[in-house]
Amino acid sequence: MIDLHGYGPRLLEGAGVTLQLAVLSLILALILGLLTASAKMSRNWLLHKVATLYTTVIRGVPDLVLMLLLFFGGQMALNVATDAIYDRFGVDWYINLNAFAAGVLTIGFIFGAYMGETFRGAFMAVEHGQIEAGKAYGMSPWLVFRRIRFPQMMRHALPGISNNWMVLLKTTALVSVIGLSDMVRVAAEASRATHEPFTFLIPVAVVYLLIASVSEWMFARLQKRYNVGFGGH
Amino acid sequence: MADTPIPLEVRNIKKRFGDTEVLKGLSLEARKGDVITLIGASGSGKSTFLRCMNLLEQPDEGDLIVHGEEIRFKQTKHGREPADWKQVVRMRAKLSMVFQSFNLWSHMTLLENVIEAPIHVLGKPKKEAIEHARALLERVGLTARADAYPAQMSGGQQQRGAIARALAMDPEVMLFDEPTSALDPELVGDVLKVMRDLAEEGRTMVVVTHEMGFARDVSSQVIYLHQGLVEEAGPPQEVLVNPTSPRLKQFLAPKY
Amino acid sequence: MTELTWLNELLAGNRIFTPQTIGYYWDGLVLTTQLVFLSLVAGLVLAIPLAIGRSSGRRWISLPIYVYTYVFRGTPLLIQLYIIYYGVVFFDGIQQTFLWPILREAFYPALIAFTLNTAAYTTEIFRGAIKATPRGEIEAARAYGMSQGLMMRRIVLPSAFRRALPAYGNEVIFMLHASAIASVVTLMDITGAARFVYARFYAPFEAFLFAAAIYLCLTFAILYFFRYLEKKLLAHLKPQSGN
Repeated sequence: MIDLHGYGPRLLEGAGVTLQLAVLSLILALILGLLTASAKMSRNWLLHKVATLYTTVIRGVPDLVLMLLLFFGGQMALNVATDAIYDRFGVDWYINLNAFAAGVLTIGFIFGAYMGETFRGAFMAVEHGQIEAGKAYGMSPWLVFRRIRFPQMMRHALPGISNNWMVLLKTTALVSVIGLSDMVRVAAEASRATHEPFTFLIPVAVVYLLIASVSEWMFARLQKRYNVGFGGH
Repeated sequence: MADTPIPLEVRNIKKRFGDTEVLKGLSLEARKGDVITLIGASGSGKSTFLRCMNLLEQPDEGDLIVHGEEIRFKQTKHGREPADWKQVVRMRAKLSMVFQSFNLWSHMTLLENVIEAPIHVLGKPKKEAIEHARALLERVGLTARADAYPAQMSGGQQQRGAIARALAMDPEVMLFDEPTSALDPELVGDVLKVMRDLAEEGRTMVVVTHEMGFARDVSSQVIYLHQGLVEEAGPPQEVLVNPTSPRLKQFLAPKY
Repeated sequence: MTELTWLNELLAGNRIFTPQTIGYYWDGLVLTTQLVFLSLVAGLVLAIPLAIGRSSGRRWISLPIYVYTYVFRGTPLLIQLYIIYYGVVFFDGIQQTFLWPILREAFYPALIAFTLNTAAYTTEIFRGAIKATPRGEIEAARAYGMSQGLMMRRIVLPSAFRRALPAYGNEVIFMLHASAIASVVTLMDITGAARFVYARFYAPFEAFLFAAAIYLCLTFAILYFFRYLEKKLLAHLKPQSGN
């Protein structure tokens, strides 16, 4: 067994932080992605522009820079807001932007842009006749969305979602830079303290590979479920 | 019978795509039990006309009266649109369409396809919808394929399934958009047979088709369209047997 | 220095963007460009033989390459950077060797990590492109008596490179963005400069938005460069007009 110099429990905790962070960010990214895709496909000119600006800027700037901007900038904006509240109402409030929340918000915000592109492509891949048949049978737009557009879109979106998830998972490592004790930060700290980098960093790398492999398997199963009715060809 | 409303009345429909006017003022009246066939060369506007009847295309001008209820329109910056989409939804539920490319929903089994709209649009109880669907599938000869997905079925089976889906709505009028054009020749017969049965039992139908045999034997009225206008219309014995327009004569001439 | 007077005027009265901080960003831009360019070139040189090996039918060649790409594509670049950086720094006795002055600098560990990372991704991109070679072209080459090597060099690789171009363009942008983590191991790249400016003036919006703008410009430059290349090199694949 490897001697973890007592860092074992903290590493385990860090792995938990990584997983929670990844899953919560994924949920946020999926919601933002659906909204973005809808905005991009909408007839509303302003919504379309805002969504395009969002996806273009996010995909043109490194994740780390966005994270630093949102974390440090967000803290400053909060400070300004709480100061204003103090000046006006005399309420002494201080909100410390928690690194975990900042991580979820930033990663979710970044991957919302990528998910938006995935969903948009998937929505466009749904055959027009399928939607027309729904309309022709008196379905309301919401019913068409819920019963036809969405389930058919998911089949096209799953490979992209799976891909984005794999990248998102690796991106969570960056929150260690803004001070969150995920498994990467714990391992880096332990490496510096003990001068034994391999003892800590390689197991962490293996955990990432493990999570990736398990999710690959899960996505393959999901894909099977959404592929229902398409295997006949 | 005199005071029951006419199932479908269409008056003076005009439609343009960009600079080309594809429908130049078309009217049609489908009384109960009528089988109206629309014939014409490709580009004559017959499919667009049919699609205007359930507003899958928005006509630029003209009136639409379904079962005595007139559809209200309003002008928007995108052109003329229905004033009340709820009314459109209600109206579409009374007209069910059978498409050229079937358009069965690919993520549902055949049975699920047939019960989908009755349950979610008409609000039928699930049990009742399934019973009705099974009876309809038996009618079109697809009892054994109830749990198959569209991709696992032949084109002819899919189209008969689509007809069952349309029947499940108990429609006032059935609209058929070239229902046999996408089928291999040997599969056309089964679909036409189902359609003949429907005509015989008194269903009101509007059919866009290239099948002249069907038009001659089954329809009560044939309308020949040319470049967005009615060139000739009347009972099939007159229009198809003794056409007066030279264009229709040429259209009907045997192609070798 | 007269050319710079307009810059001085523009910056006059600006607390944060002094000529000195602009200088930090400029140095950062130079360092980022060096790191990204050198690792991309080295990665490309490594990836070509690796992609050929990965496409080989012999498992003892293709399997180890697959393991390499799977590991480097499946783990965060930050971990790879830490492993190489700390692995070198804490290597026993390295401080005494003549290599220490070079290796002490985080530049080389970062360059090695980036190179190995992009080589893994590029290998898979090329493998996909090689696999997508139309069967008919290979059969034609065989029919004309080409050897395996000749066919690879004359038929498969040239068309695979062109097919790989769009995906490789994405990889270049990905590498540019990934290079921001160099700042984590104390390198003063663009992000490093921004972090320095932030810490000095406590001005997160100015510091990081300026860096973001630089990255955005670089991204667009790369995007347009690859679009231009695609147009030039892939023109023959488009259907002829007027058919």
